Order: sequence, then structure tokens, then C-alpha cells
Amino acid sequence: MRRSSAYIPVSTAAALLVSSSTLFFVFTCPWLAENVSLSFPPCVGIVFLFAVANFTMATFMDAGVFPRADDDEDKDEDVRAPLYRTVEVRGVQVRMKWCSSCHFYRPPRCSHCSVCDHCVEDFDHHCPWVNNCIGRRNYRFFFLFLLSLSLHMAGVFSGGLLYVLDHLEDLWELHAAVTLAVMSVSGLFFIPVLGLACFHLVLVARGRTTNEQVTGKFQGGVNPFTRGCRLNLQFVLFSPIMPRYTGKLSDRVPVPVHPPFHHPESQTLTPVKSSENCVPSQTPPVKSLEEVDDPDSKHRTSPPPLPPKPDPVLLKNHLAALEESLLQSRAVMPSGHKTNPLQTSESPTKVLYQVPRDQIGTRISPLVPQEHASDPSLLQSENPENSLTLNSRSLSLKHSHRRVAETPGPSASVLISRSGSLSYDSLLRPVERLGSQTPFLPMDSSLSRGPGCNCSPVFMNISRHSPQHREPSPVCYDSLAKPLMSSIQERREPDEKDRPLAPNSGIYDIPSRRSLPHDFRGPSSRGPTPPAYGSREFLLSSAAYGYGSRSHLSSSSSSSLTRTPRAASSPLHFNRSLSPSFYHSLDRHSQQFPSALPSSSYGHQKALAFIRGEERPEPEL
Amino acid sequence: MISAPRTATDRTKLPYCHESFHNLQELRHSASLANKVFIQRDYTDGTICKFQTKFPSELDSRIERTLFEDTVKTLNNYYAEAEKIGGQSYLEGCLACLTVYLIFLCIETRYEKVLKKISRYIQEQNEKIYAPRGLLITDPLERGMRVIEISVYEDRGSSGSSSGSSTTSSSGR
Repeated sequence: MRRSSAYIPVSTAAALLVSSSTLFFVFTCPWLAENVSLSFPPCVGIVFLFAVANFTMATFMDAGVFPRADDDEDKDEDVRAPLYRTVEVRGVQVRMKWCSSCHFYRPPRCSHCSVCDHCVEDFDHHCPWVNNCIGRRNYRFFFLFLLSLSLHMAGVFSGGLLYVLDHLEDLWELHAAVTLAVMSVSGLFFIPVLGLACFHLVLVARGRTTNEQVTGKFQGGVNPFTRGCRLNLQFVLFSPIMPRYTGKLSDRVPVPVHPPFHHPESQTLTPVKSSENCVPSQTPPVKSLEEVDDPDSKHRTSPPPLPPKPDPVLLKNHLAALEESLLQSRAVMPSGHKTNPLQTSESPTKVLYQVPRDQIGTRISPLVPQEHASDPSLLQSENPENSLTLNSRSLSLKHSHRRVAETPGPSASVLISRSGSLSYDSLLRPVERLGSQTPFLPMDSSLSRGPGCNCSPVFMNISRHSPQHREPSPVCYDSLAKPLMSSIQERREPDEKDRPLAPNSGIYDIPSRRSLPHDFRGPSSRGPTPPAYGSREFLLSSAAYGYGSRSHLSSSSSSSLTRTPRAASSPLHFNRSLSPSFYHSLDRHSQQFPSALPSSSYGHQKALAFIRGEERPEPEL
Repeated sequence: MISAPRTATDRTKLPYCHESFHNLQELRHSASLANKVFIQRDYTDGTICKFQTKFPSELDSRIERTLFEDTVKTLNNYYAEAEKIGGQSYLEGCLACLTVYLIFLCIETRYEKVLKKISRYIQEQNEKIYAPRGLLITDPLERGMRVIEISVYEDRGSSGSSSGSSTTSSSGR
């Protein structure tokens, strides 16, 4: 995955370190031992050894890589789920962004490294000099490496200086020449290394990561992750080293699971295990659960305690069962879906329903009715409240497991298919879409604003927070220049395609999703050349990271901030090394879509074109 | 050991991986994975490893609230113990520095020991409490400590000929 050129900095660093030090020990240290102090070379030697050890650990130790989430973890979160999820950390709202590569919401302080293409816990930066990410597990080694290297360089330089000062008359002699060379190398690199060491010293004292410092996350306000200077230092140096997440897992013995299953007694009755009591209490509220039929049968057959023959159902072997159940639940959607267009009298809806579904997949299909619904010219209007409640209800069912339970929540995933068909049904009767569509309920309270609101919940959170003071908004991109932002906003129409649920735009731009440029599709989208840490490119990219994310927020349609489905990756997936590809992609976008249409009308046109069955150029998806 | 269903009818009904049905009299219900519930991390105290003890609604009919909360609280305690910065972690850190980190090749750190304890605890909980209720807890380590994954199994009754047995057993209730 990494090109061989990625190994150049690390091998250069290693070679320089080892060779310079070896030359120093061979040529300079004998004289130093005799003339300065006998203990001087051993001290330098120990520091050197320590530096090499830390360098090795920083290079080879896993930084805290998160394994990618399985499909089944992701299937609860469908496409309507928001791009960000807010969580409160010590009283400060912190946003967790959905990682489209790893398929989970990144924990706080986690970031996705584009070079390594994985999410890293407590991501600091990707260091080219060790060719590794610096994250939670290996930050202390990196930090100690910097300190020890600075000390070592200081020792080498001063030792060499003492030698040279004593041998000024014969600088062309071998020992002196070598010492001079070593001195110049160490002197040359001493300043940057010392600067970096001091920078990280400040970061450790303040309890920040490089990522947070460079993106200016806590610039104006409170850092919820700091524990105070002393405790931060203690945490960095002496916290236990966590084991790897990836890699081998155990020799775990799978636990057999076989029915009959014990169920808790109902609350209204005395705790007596009786099947008769359980059955009636369970049926009414959970009517829609598939399991309702099963408890009845289960309880009827529960009396025999354990079957004589054990029938182990191993967890691993249930992958096939899981696929089956997934297929079944997905089958509900197409069955509910395909019958509806036949019933409706509107042929345009048929086209819209079917075509994106086939091509994009079931995840997007719930969006399609809304895309259609949002076009008033095509649809008759219906009771908006009805649709809104239906929408919010279906959505709240989807997200019931995510703390937005406004309706009594049966198992969300079980109901996804049902709510999918609910939304189809509700939107089949053409619905006039409201101004603020709330198909995505990312956060909580902001949803209560009604149709009049033009902002996304996420955006409202941000806007709500930013006027006060910088901090409750977890991400403060203060360094944005207005002209840059506006230019980025203009260029963001291509990005709208990736956010099909734009509340203020008229149409959900699903068909246009396919016109995403090619290079935003996979790991290659992360950028051809990740900038090195400390380089200008890196700083630009991190600025771009800030710009881009901010432009996401500030754009009205960024509220929709939904995640792309698995099939496509976000075109503007912001991470540190995005700079070259970011600008490159923006150029590509602007070339492809030269007319700067507002996203709503653009989507509108697309939908109309679609309805007419035009062929659109579809690069790829 | 999983063997293929013996009879042709059984083969058509059940996936291969499910239990074997040796004869119709011994038909029993197979369990199939219905759903997975994910217990998310609780970040209110920072990035320490702690899981939410909020009882998920999907488990409402499957397990008692107290049992579930006990499990999660115990896990949280274990993780807190593992991540505690105190005497032993200082000792490990200093020893590691002194031995140029070679000590990691020889001994097991305290975190690893606690993780083994956690693994044993989860295994025991699964065997005693969760599997009889048709649930299985997956060690969060497999998910990068981001979620506790609870697999919910449902009793998928065998169809057709097994319904006879179920009715007979129900009548025998």
C-alpha cells in the first residue's frame, strides 16, 4: 500500500542517526574520554541507545489503529444518518464524524490517516521520518525520541566542538575532519529537531494533539481532554500501553447458544417463571416485532429444560444466517417497494423509484421518495403534517437506538425494512416537502424547530454555539478567510451531490451521485502524495481541512451532512493530506459543472431530466 | 460438530450451518442471529474506556435490566482498573525505559492481564447469563473498544414437520 518512496525519509533518518553517531564514537570519543571526562562517552552512548530504541518503537508500534467496522454494525446506520454525531465530553460538545472508509463514527480525538488508510485513536500526525502514524499507543515513544534525539545531538555537537577547538591547527586530519562533518550534520538538524521537541512539549503540557493544534480545534476555548499540565505529562509518559486492537484475537471458545431462551418476567407480575403470563404481556406493545410470534412458540415449548443432545450454534457459523436474515429484511423493502409504483397513478414516480434503487442500492432508496416529493411541480400536495410525522416517525424508528426515541422503539434494525416501506407508503401519495426536511435526525433538540427552519440541525448547533464563544462548538475553524469560504461555497455544488438530503434544496440529488469524479472513490481518493508533517504542503492541507469542513458547515445544505453509502466515498473527505487532491478535485468539479447553479435548482433539473428518461453522463460511482 | 440435515425436507428448509436434525422427534428449534445491539462508549469523562449503561430498548424483552447493567458496570470497572495510572504503571514505564523496551518481550503488561480477565469474565457471563437468554456479548476489543456488541438470537422454530412436535410439546405443557 505504501509506495517505496515512503521509506526514503525513514531510512535517511535512521542512516544519518546511526552513521553519525558511530563516527562520533569512533573518531571523537577516544579523545573526549581522555581529555574531557571518562564518563562523557558512556552518557552519550546511553542517550543514543535510548533515542534509537524510541525511534524503533515509534516506527514499528501500532499507533492505535481501529479495526474497520463490520457490515452489521453499520447496517443500523443507514444513509440518512448524519455525518456527525455529537457527544458530550466533560461538558463540551464534541463532534464525531462518520468515517466512510472505516464505517463508524470516529471517537473523539480519532482521525483517519490517509497515508495509512485507517483510523487511529488519539491521532497526532503521520510522521514521515518514522513512516508511521503517531497515535495513542506510540506517542510517548515519539515524544521521548524527540527529546532524546535533541539531547544526543546537543551532546554530539558539544563533544565535537570541544575536539575541534582543541585541534584547530590541523583540521584536515582525518579525525578532525570527520568530527567536523558530524558536527555539521548534527548542528544542521539540531535546530528543527529541538523546535519540534519544544512544540511537542507544549502540546503535551496543554493536552493537545498535533492534529488539534494545527486545525485550531480548541483555539478559542476549552479543551475537554486536558487534565492539567502535570497530569497530562503523567498520562503521556506513564499511562499503561494499550494492546493492539487489530491483529490476532484469541483462542476464544465460542459459547453455544441454543433455545429455548429464558425471558425476563414481565414487570406487572410477580417473578414467577410462567409462560402463560409472558405471552399476553409481550404481544400488545411489540406487535410489529418479528419476534412476537416466536415468544409464543418459545414459551409453549419451553418446558423441556435442556435438549438431550447439545446443538451448538456457533457464532461464526451464523454469518450465513445473518446474511439470510438480511436478505429477508431487504426483501421486504423491494416487495413493499415494487408494489407501490404499480398502485400509484403517477408514472414519473415509478421511474424515480426504480432507477436509483437498482443502481444505487437499497440504502439510497428511502431517499428517493423524498427526492421526488420535494419537487412541487410533479406532485400534488398533501397534508404536510401527516408526511412530516410519518417521516419523523419512520426516522425515529430508524434511529431509536440512537437516543432519538420519540416513539416507543422496538428493535430499530428489525424495523428498518418496515419503516422503509412506511416511508415509501407515506410518500407515495405525493407529499409536499417542507422547507426543513428532517429526514436525518442527527441531534436532538434542534429538530423541534419546525418547517420554517432553514438550517440543518448540525448547522444550527454550530451557529448556536459560535456566537457565544468559541468553545462549545467543538470545531472552530477560525482561520477561514471569507473570500475563500465564499469561493469554496460556490464550488460546493458538486459536493451537494454527495449530500442528497439537502433540506433547503428542492431535490435529493441521487442520480447525480453517479457523476462523482473518479478519483473520489477509494483509497486513491485520499490523495496521491500525502504531505509530510511540518512541510508547507501539510500546513496547507490542514488549512484546507479546516476550510473544507467549515464550508461544509456553513453551507445551508451541509445540514444534510449525510453519509455516503458504502459504495461511494465522500468526494471531499477531509483529512490531513487532502490538500493536493482537494484543490485538484475542486478544479475538476468546476470544470465539469461550470454553471454555478444553486443546488436546489440543479437537483431539480436533474430530477426532471431523469423523469424524462434522459441519458445522463455517468462517469462512475 | 455440525452435520447436514439428514432428510431431504430438512435440507430444503434449513441452512447448512444450522443444527442437524437427526429425526423428527428430536426436532428442536434452531437459534439464528436476529439482530445486533451496540452499546456505545460513554465519553462524558473523556477518552477513558467506559461504556454507556443505558439499557437498550431492543433487549427489553430479552434480559433483565439489572443483569445487563451489572455486566456493563463490571466491564467499566475492569477497564478503569486497566487504565489506572498509579504505582504499577509507573513501574512498568520506568522498567521499560531502563531495559530499552525489551521488557515488553518478556512480561505481560498490566493492561494485558486485565484484558485477559475481562475476556474470561465475558466468557463466563455469556455462558451463565446471556446464552440462556439468546444473547451473546462480543468482547469490545474486537471492535476497537468502540462498542460492546450484543448479538441477539431468536428462536427460529423449525417449519413444517417440526410444528407437529411443537404442538405436541405445547399440548404436553
